[in-house]
Amino acid sequence: MHRRLLLMAASSIAVALSSGALAQGTIKVGFPMILSGPGALFGEPALKGAQMYVEEINAKGGVLGRKIQLIPRDTKGNADEAVRVARDLILRDDVQFIVGTLTSAEGPAVSTIARENKVVFIAPIPKTDQLTAPANLHPYVFRSASNTTIEGRTAAEIVAKWPVTRIATIAPDYAYGQDVTKAFVEHLKKIKPGVEIVDQQWPKLGEADYTPFINAQLGKKPEAVYSSLWGGHFVTFAKQAKPLGYFQALNNNFIGVGEAGSIESTRSMGADYPVGIWANTYDIFDWPDGPPAHKDYIARLKKFTKEETPSSWPVTGYIGMQFLVEAIAKAGSVESDKVSAALKGLAIDSPIGKLTMRAKDQQANHGQFWGRTRMDPKYPFAVLENVTRIDPAPFMD
Amino acid sequence: MPEPAFLFGQFLGGLTAGMFLFTIAAGLSLIFGVLRVLNFAHGSFYMFGAYLGWQVMSWVGPGTEYFWLAALAAAACVALLGIAIEHCLLRHLYRREELYQLLFTYALVLILADCAKIIWGTGQLSVSRPPSLSGAVQIFGTTVPHYNLFIMLLGPAIALGLWLLMHRSRVGRLVRAAVMDREMLGALGANVGSLYTIMFGIGAFLAGLGGALVTPVKSIVPGMDVEVIVEVFIVVVIGGLGSLWGTFLGALVFGQVLAFGILIMPRFSIFAVFALMAIILIVRPWGLLGKPLR
Repeated sequence: MHRRLLLMAASSIAVALSSGALAQGTIKVGFPMILSGPGALFGEPALKGAQMYVEEINAKGGVLGRKIQLIPRDTKGNADEAVRVARDLILRDDVQFIVGTLTSAEGPAVSTIARENKVVFIAPIPKTDQLTAPANLHPYVFRSASNTTIEGRTAAEIVAKWPVTRIATIAPDYAYGQDVTKAFVEHLKKIKPGVEIVDQQWPKLGEADYTPFINAQLGKKPEAVYSSLWGGHFVTFAKQAKPLGYFQALNNNFIGVGEAGSIESTRSMGADYPVGIWANTYDIFDWPDGPPAHKDYIARLKKFTKEETPSSWPVTGYIGMQFLVEAIAKAGSVESDKVSAALKGLAIDSPIGKLTMRAKDQQANHGQFWGRTRMDPKYPFAVLENVTRIDPAPFMD
Repeated sequence: MPEPAFLFGQFLGGLTAGMFLFTIAAGLSLIFGVLRVLNFAHGSFYMFGAYLGWQVMSWVGPGTEYFWLAALAAAACVALLGIAIEHCLLRHLYRREELYQLLFTYALVLILADCAKIIWGTGQLSVSRPPSLSGAVQIFGTTVPHYNLFIMLLGPAIALGLWLLMHRSRVGRLVRAAVMDREMLGALGANVGSLYTIMFGIGAFLAGLGGALVTPVKSIVPGMDVEVIVEVFIVVVIGGLGSLWGTFLGALVFGQVLAFGILIMPRFSIFAVFALMAIILIVRPWGLLGKPLR
């Protein structure tokens, strides 16, 4: 009897020791991301960026002398599935941190799991303001992405300079589209009180036929349009709007947020892209005024993804991981509370410049690239010209 | 009151959407009318038509008149795929309960979606309009793209073609006989099996054609299969499953309700379509022009 007890005790100690040793070995980071379905267009490259950062940091010996292990999981673009895989990552895979999620439905859903389990969660892509709004903020949620306030207000700053007063909007009817449109309209009315919102269209997310919305909008005779249709939705919209003379009627006074200017969209549309409109993107592979660090990053990315003209989304995953790893280094620990404290106010030198995770709302001052699109003889697709990275700090709350 | 030109534009927009849906729904309705199989994988055939159309275009030269060739080639490939599936797999299930057939076609949806992902990846693809139809005309002050005009004419052409096939050809007579009494037709010496295969192939061809022709106005992405099957089901439920003219009417109604719904209730346009479907299911479960199942 005693012997048996002794054996059991010994074996359980051995198990405890070995799992402890394992945990000491690597730092596990869960990466829930859309890896299938339409959202994978952005989810896949975001994961690539995170993987590249991890490979680079591990080649330098990791952080605190420990290697990082990235565990990607497919959320299928569904908030319920994102919650399930996040729980699974924490309970079964024993991850100490979570970096990931893509949509504005997934981010807030995973945030509640992070709070329950006291696991630091960095959202590299979801933009809804609700994620870090005071009512939802907790010590373990951080956002390295831009947010709807930053994006909407930046667009308002640009549109305010146009000689137009009759403005219309078109947005997918869900959290992101609603929030980013509200931020735009409110800020524009504040900085240019003479404007009039003459029309607002709300197609459902994933609408297949935008023609009736396009006609209805043109019927109101706007001088400029603010759109937040993203990814494949923007492509479908633009392909239907262009032959209807939509962009012509607007004199190209059209600004597409939601990364309508990303290379993923321009590349897939080629000559069909509505050249001349304004759009934004998270990254550009050709940034003449950019810092050397950006050129270096693009060169490494080209090698890593084997793409001649690399995607714009890897930078989101890269920056998310960079915030986490630098916070771990600063905290000198992988304990959630210490890393959370280290993240507040942390400034990093990201590939696109200095970014700060504000202590007040745990939101990075992550602005985007904005410019007018044009065809470049060097490429078979549209690129942004006179591109500027707008620092959002002056008009963040 | 909105301007007449604008209302006309809205009407034409709805008509284009309806005729696109008809091209796809006609195949689904045909297959159900003859084989009594509700083919969930019809949307997958549509998706394959789109991907294959893109694939052939990228081989023969994007942005050229080869678009037409590519569309036909894609539709033919999808027809062959349909024929293979019917001949090798589906025909073993005709004597089983309908539930098994449903489960089988649903399994096909999952399998074909994964196949498409393996072959073409998850990125979005896009095809340009053929140069001959890349322009637009002004009709009553409304800009109408040539390509949309073509689609508006294609729908009735397909409807007419299918009607002639079913009512003016020998194959059509045999098919109608098979619908009435399969065993008797077999006893009279007709090869009912190959008749079914041909009809399934034609249905798949129409789905593939719809998919290939939709590429100039939509992005090609994973998930387009499920998206379209929902809309096509609504069309056939409204019009009457198995009825050619019912499907045509259903597609017209769907397009117009969507187009004018957004004028009245901008945020609930899709709701209007679902509401219409619900009302029809309650009042006339067999659809506007369908017949009650025996």
